Formats: sequence, structure tokens, C-alpha cells
Amino acid sequence: MSLTPEIIALLTLDAIFCFFGLIAWVVAFRIAFHWNAKATTPLQYTLSKQSYLGAIIIKYIFMLKLPLFAFFIYTCDKLSSIIAGAMCAAGVVNSVDFGLYLTLFKLLNLYLFGFWLLLHYADVNDEKLPFTRLKFVLFLLFSLPLFAEIALEVSFFSSLNISKIVSCCGTLFSAASDSYMSLLFVVDERIWVGLFYGSFGMILLAYGLKNRLLLIVSNALFLIFAIISLIIFFSTYVYELPTHRCPFCLLQKDYYYVGYALYAFLFAGTFLGMGGGVLALLSQRTQPRFMRASLAFNTLYLLNISAYPLVYFLRNGVCL
Amino acid sequence: MIFNMNFLLLDYAIRSLMRRFSKNFFIFLILSLLIFLLASVLMIADAIKLELNSTLKTLPQITLQRFIAGKQSDVPIARAEALLDIEGISSVTPRVWGYYYFKPAGVNFSVVGIDAYEEQYSSTLTHLTQRFDMKLLANKESMIVGEGVKKILAENYYTDFFNFITPDGQWKRVPIAGVFHSDLALESNDLIILPKKLAYAIFGMEESKATDIVVKVANVKEIATIVQKITARYPDMRAITQDDIRVSYQNIFDYKSGFFLSLFSVSAFAFFIIIYDKTSGLSSEEKREIGILKAIGWSSDDIVKEKFYESFILSLGAFLLSISCALFYVYALQAPLLRNLFMGYSELKPTFLLPFSFNLSMVILLFLLSVPIYIAATLIPSWRASSLDADEVMR
Amino acid sequence: MIQLHDVCKSFMQGDESVFALRQISLHVKRGECVVLKGNSGSGKSTLLSLIAGLAQPNSGEVSVDGREISKLPEPFSAKLRRQKIGFIFQKFHLIPHLTALENVITPLIPENLSLSLLDEKAKTSMEQCGIAHKAQMRVNRLSGGEQQRVAIARALVNNPLLILADEPTANLDENLSRELIAQFERLKHQGITQLIATHDPLFFELGFVDRIIEIKNGELV
Repeated sequence: MSLTPEIIALLTLDAIFCFFGLIAWVVAFRIAFHWNAKATTPLQYTLSKQSYLGAIIIKYIFMLKLPLFAFFIYTCDKLSSIIAGAMCAAGVVNSVDFGLYLTLFKLLNLYLFGFWLLLHYADVNDEKLPFTRLKFVLFLLFSLPLFAEIALEVSFFSSLNISKIVSCCGTLFSAASDSYMSLLFVVDERIWVGLFYGSFGMILLAYGLKNRLLLIVSNALFLIFAIISLIIFFSTYVYELPTHRCPFCLLQKDYYYVGYALYAFLFAGTFLGMGGGVLALLSQRTQPRFMRASLAFNTLYLLNISAYPLVYFLRNGVCL
Repeated sequence: MIFNMNFLLLDYAIRSLMRRFSKNFFIFLILSLLIFLLASVLMIADAIKLELNSTLKTLPQITLQRFIAGKQSDVPIARAEALLDIEGISSVTPRVWGYYYFKPAGVNFSVVGIDAYEEQYSSTLTHLTQRFDMKLLANKESMIVGEGVKKILAENYYTDFFNFITPDGQWKRVPIAGVFHSDLALESNDLIILPKKLAYAIFGMEESKATDIVVKVANVKEIATIVQKITARYPDMRAITQDDIRVSYQNIFDYKSGFFLSLFSVSAFAFFIIIYDKTSGLSSEEKREIGILKAIGWSSDDIVKEKFYESFILSLGAFLLSISCALFYVYALQAPLLRNLFMGYSELKPTFLLPFSFNLSMVILLFLLSVPIYIAATLIPSWRASSLDADEVMR
Repeated sequence: MIQLHDVCKSFMQGDESVFALRQISLHVKRGECVVLKGNSGSGKSTLLSLIAGLAQPNSGEVSVDGREISKLPEPFSAKLRRQKIGFIFQKFHLIPHLTALENVITPLIPENLSLSLLDEKAKTSMEQCGIAHKAQMRVNRLSGGEQQRVAIARALVNNPLLILADEPTANLDENLSRELIAQFERLKHQGITQLIATHDPLFFELGFVDRIIEIKNGELV
């Protein structure tokens, strides 16, 4: 295991998350089974105090996980300079079998915890505290991917082997790759791009109709197709190279770190869209602020990412 | 829901910190000290890495050594000529060098043999051959030494010559023709340069052999391929490239930083416990205050927020102070004491200036290792404080 | 304004359960000034705590301004307390190292108001109580009477609908007590509902007091 300071920082914070996560788990367990908003027993009194503790802990974990995700990617990027063959974070992440799953888990957890916080705010701003029990039952469920992520991260860093040669993103994200990535290439890139814009159209429709379910579904689809179309099509225009299709190299200095902005827009937009929809369903009230913010971010992402092929075409007169 | 800062609460938090000045100052001081240590160590590591990376560029692209029975052995010079056949190699230089142990001072000198007519493989040596007349050196069988060597010899009563003892017990008197100063202090302070013939004599080496061979290639990107070709032709030769050295240095530094950090985290953990304890123990006055606040309309949430602001301000303040002090300590004072952690202590290792290297990622790393951890330590005590019953306190 | 219905409150003393209040039902109309008469230990303070939402009854309901404060979750009861209720304590309960002004604005801090609005409210309140000239002094340097005025200013800063006072004259001499009573009279004329818990006889023969309720051993007489 190579113990760079960055890895130590990530592991230390993981230890803290584990510790507090367990405390929150115990609190959630008690509330899930014994919560009775109408009771005036000492137990209920204690539970209501402990529900604050649970909320504080989860807020703390989420607040940190956001920048830590970016930091994790940055750490992998930095490690690529000492792991043979890796030229960006993609190589490092894929040098371990479950590396990609770890990254996806991290993203999933960010979304799950974000949703939890939205639910929490809806709960706390209502006198009847309608969602308290639901909140903590959900936390019991969400804590599983949280602990899984921590375990995966620890074993990820322990399995990193600087002497093992890994593939670089050029081979990973290509039709010739032997991972499931190659399946994406079976489909014509125009279909993926079409699906991408189509799902954005669905978002606009959902916004116009103010249909919450459609909003959730369309945002989820938008997220998926955005990432796929980014890998298959758009990234080649960012790098101006038809064979370079890496979603991680965007985060490097050479491309002005544009990846951070793009991903921020995409994740924020889809999160607010899905979260707003779920919140609206639960509270039976539309959440116009969420919808507006989500639309704004998604549009920003769309415009920025579409600009690359457009500008390239205008400057060069041809497509890649 | 969007994070919206309550400045009045912030102000209240600051005043609250000042009201319990001695307790908070103690915590602030220790936190600052810990972060300062951490920051200094990381900065020194980074600075030395930078210095080494620039040194690295002056090292040979490929160094070839011969191994027999797992031990390094001399290389026949004939191989050097044979290697020129390989495409892509622009020059091949056999080197004669080694370490000479000077018992009275307990130090090793690096001894390098130079031929006046050869193309030198390192820019330092090129400078030297231009500054000093190597032919004269060869004729007079004398040597040029680095400043550190001169000093050591002077301390041992050798002023303008030195007696080497050869492996067969003979004395070899070599006058000192000059002293060189070099910018690349790390490299040259313990260096002695003399004609190759002398080097052979001092080390008792055969004149048809060399210590190792240095190879220069035309296209840097082809280094790996050329190494393959060389080792295919001479399986008993091992190649060390610039990249190999870079990676191994990076690993040593990361290892040393990591090692230090692991030890550091033990003391940080102890500190964590102390903080937890200190912030948990609320004085009766503090309890009364919380009771009053709740009675006049503050909710538990408001109190937790206020406590969070307190922790954040304290830890952020400590963080900023420590970073500034660390910058001053490392770059202005050149980090006395701590730099030996990485440099190793050796009489001849000279003082060299730690080059300034500052990057945002290090600040973020230090931030992550300090502020969130401090806040974690105060999380539960803050909650405990906020769940105090106003009623009981008021009685 | 205040409604109590069959309220019971007990405390644990060791292993025993001690009743502080038994089956209390009370109704105070808006604008009324009610004096709660009783000796120490009779349950006056507990009753006030329940009305302020600082404690929960074991049974029964407590409503303030139409809202059942006993059933509200803590952040909501705190907000109600902050916005609608002003509490004057027996021992003032000011924060010692803060200035008079800072003490007065403390209830408003969680509201996150603009500085100018805050300033305005504090000024009005302090001028009403005649303590504006000592705004920048630390309260632990003020005299008893001045501290009392700061405490009242603090209770009034949020323009409450209801004032609760727990033995307000217990730590004051006769002059200061009469000054305080004059304040209460002024508040009565402003239409603010008041519930004053005291065993000070000065309160039992006042013209502006609408009712005197006696409480003994946790029950209303």
C-alpha cells in the first residue's frame, strides 16, 4: 500500500465517517422502532433529542463527502504519475477490479444522502414532523452503501500496486476494451446523442406539465445519457482527438479543469431535479425553486457540452 | 435550505469564544502547533522533491550496471563501444567512480575519474572541465575537490594535498589543484574529481573496466525500448532510467511523509480525546447561559449552529495561523531540525535553499486534515450542550 | 390567549414522583393582566414554564395564541416563544459579560434580521424602559434596577403578545418594585396580555390587574 498524505487524509476521514455512521445507525434504529410523535413519554422526549444528533451527523457526513468526492478523483489523478501506465485517474481507478464500482458507489451515496437531507428539511419545517420515522428507516437502508463504500475505499487503497502496469484510458474507453464499456460502442454514437437531447426534451416537458414523476424519471435518464454521450461523443471534441474518450482526463490541467465545472452542473441539476420531484411527491406540494434550479443547471451543462462540437465544427468545417 | 449565514450568530459565537478565553486559547494553541508540524513536514517534503526533480534532470538518462551473483561488478569497456551499434543511442560513456572512506573523519568522499577529452555526461562536470585545465590535472596527477571535502581535510591537517590509501596498502599522494563551488550543492559538496588513471589506481581497478556505463539517447520517448534492447544483448546488465529514480524518490518521500503522518495521527488522536473532554465539560455558567438562551427563544438547532460556528472559527483560525507560520518557518528560516527528517544527517550534506513551492492542493489537504477533524471532535459535545433542559437549569 | 385544560405535571425526586401541578384549567383572555398568587413551592414557576413551552405537561393541553404549544416540536415552540412571548425572570438571567444592548437583542439573533431592523427594535425597547443611555455597558456592572430594566427591555424587544413574569420583584427594593409595577401598568394599557406569578403583596391591590388567581400545592384555589 502506498501511503501518500492524500490517501491518509481520505482514510482518516473514512474512519470518522464510520464511527459517526455507527452512532447515527443506532439512533436511527431506535427511532425506526419506537418513534411516536403523539406520545409524551420520556422515551419519546429522548428520541426527539437524539433525532437531532442523527441529523447533525448526517449533515456533517454529507457536507464533507461533497468536496471529498472531488478530492478522491484528484488523489487518483495524482497517483497516476507513480502508477505505471496510468495517465489519468481512469487508469488508477481501473487498476483495481472494483475501482469503478467504488466511484459509482461514491456518486450514489452523494445522491442518497442529498435526498435524505431534502427529506429532513421537509420534515423539520412541518409542525407535525411527518417524515421522521421514514427518514430514519431510509437512513438504515442508506447506511449500507455508506459502509460498503468505506470498506471498498479502504481495500481500494490497500490493493493499489505501483508496480502493476495498468491500461490507460485510451484502451479502457474504446470499442476494443474487454470491459462492458465496449458494449456502449455497439450502438451508433448518434443514437446516444439523440437520447441525450431527447431526455433533456423530456425534462422540459416535465417542467411544463409540472409532473413530478416525469421530472424524476427524465432527470435520471438525462444523467445516464449525459455520461454515456460524454464518453462516446462529446469528450472527443473536448480533446479534439477521435480516439480519446476518457471522462476523467477532462479534470486535468491540460483542459483547464473544465471537467469539474461540467460534472458540477450535471450532478447538481439532476440531483435537484430528482430530489425536487421526490420531495414534491412526499409533501404533495410542487417545489418550484428546485425545478427552476435543476433546469438552470441542466441547461448550463447542455449548452457547455454542446459548445465543444459546435465550436470545433465552426472552426474546422468538419466533424471528427 | 441554501446555506445562509447568520452574521449575528457568527458574532455571538466569536464573543462566546472570547468569553472563555483561557480554555479556548489552550485548544487554539495546541491545534495550531499540530497543524504547524504537519504543514511544515509536508512543505519540506514537497520542496525537497522539487529540488530533487531538478537535480534529476542533470542525471544520466540511462545508467547501466553489471551484476554478477546479485552484486554490482565492473563493466568491461569493450561493451561501451559495442553498444553504439544500437539505433537511437547518441553517446555512451564509461564511468569510473566510487566512494573513498576517510576513517579519521568517518565520512565517505565521492571520487570521480575524468578524462579531459571525453564528452562529459553531466553539465556540472562539463562546467568543471571548462573551468579547470584537465590536461594539467592529468599531467600533475592532482585533483579538484568540493568545499565540504576541503573543509574536512583541513580539519585533519591536510591543507594542499591528501594521501589516499590504495587497496594494496600503498600510499598515493595527490595534491589539491583547486576547489569548486557548485550551484547543485547536493551533488557536489563531497565530490573529488581526478584523472581516470588516478581513479583506477586509488580503487585498484583494472584499466579495461569501468564502474558503470552512462547512455544518452536521441529521443527521450525511446528510452524504454532501448533499455529492452540493451538488456537483451547483455542479460547481466541492469538499467536505471531517470524515470525509475523519479518514481523511487517519490515513493521514498511519500513513504516518509506517510510514516510521519501515521505517527502524527497518534498524537492527533490523543488531542481529539482532549478536545472531546474539554468541550464536553460545561461549567455551570455555560449551562446557565444555554438555559437562558433556550428560555428566551433559541432552539436546540440554533445552539448547535452557534457551537458549530465556534468550532469552525477556532479551527479555521488555527489553520490559517499555522499555514502562515509554517511558510515562514520552512522558507524563511529554512526549517531547522525538521529538515533532517528527510535529509538524513550527514556531515557533508550541505545547506541548500529549499526552493519555494506552494500549491493549492496542499492547502486543501491540510485543511481536510485539520478543520473537519476538529469539528468532528466537537460534534457530540455540541449536541449534548444543545439538548440541555432549559427548565432544569433555571431552577 | 392562554388556555390550559386539565394540565398535570410531575417530577421525579429520587424514586418518587412528585406532583407540581394537578388538573389545572385556566383561561386568560387577550389583553388581560392576571396575577398568580402563591408561595414558593406552590407550582407557579412550573405553570409559567409550561405556558412558555419550556416544559411538557404529563397530561392535558397548553395553548398559546391558539396554538397547542405543548404538542409543538422544539424548534417550533422555540420560535413561538421567541416571537410571541416575553419572559421576565426572578433573577433577571442576563448574560453577564455581554452589554445591555447585546443582551436585549439576543432573542432576535436566530431570526436573522437585518442590522438596521435589529437596531431599531432594540432602541425602541430600551427607550421604553429608560435604559437606552446604558446600552454599551456590561450588565454585570449595572445596578439591580438597571439590570431589571434591561431584562424587561429584552422581554419586550420582539413586541410580544404575552408577558410572563416569575417573581419579578423578589430581588428588588420597594422603590424599584413600584417602578416595575408602573411598567406593567403601561404594558397593560398597550394591550399586552400579562401573567405575573408572585407572592409580593404589592401586586394584590392594583387597579389595572384584572384577576388574581391563587395556586396552592399545585392546584388552583
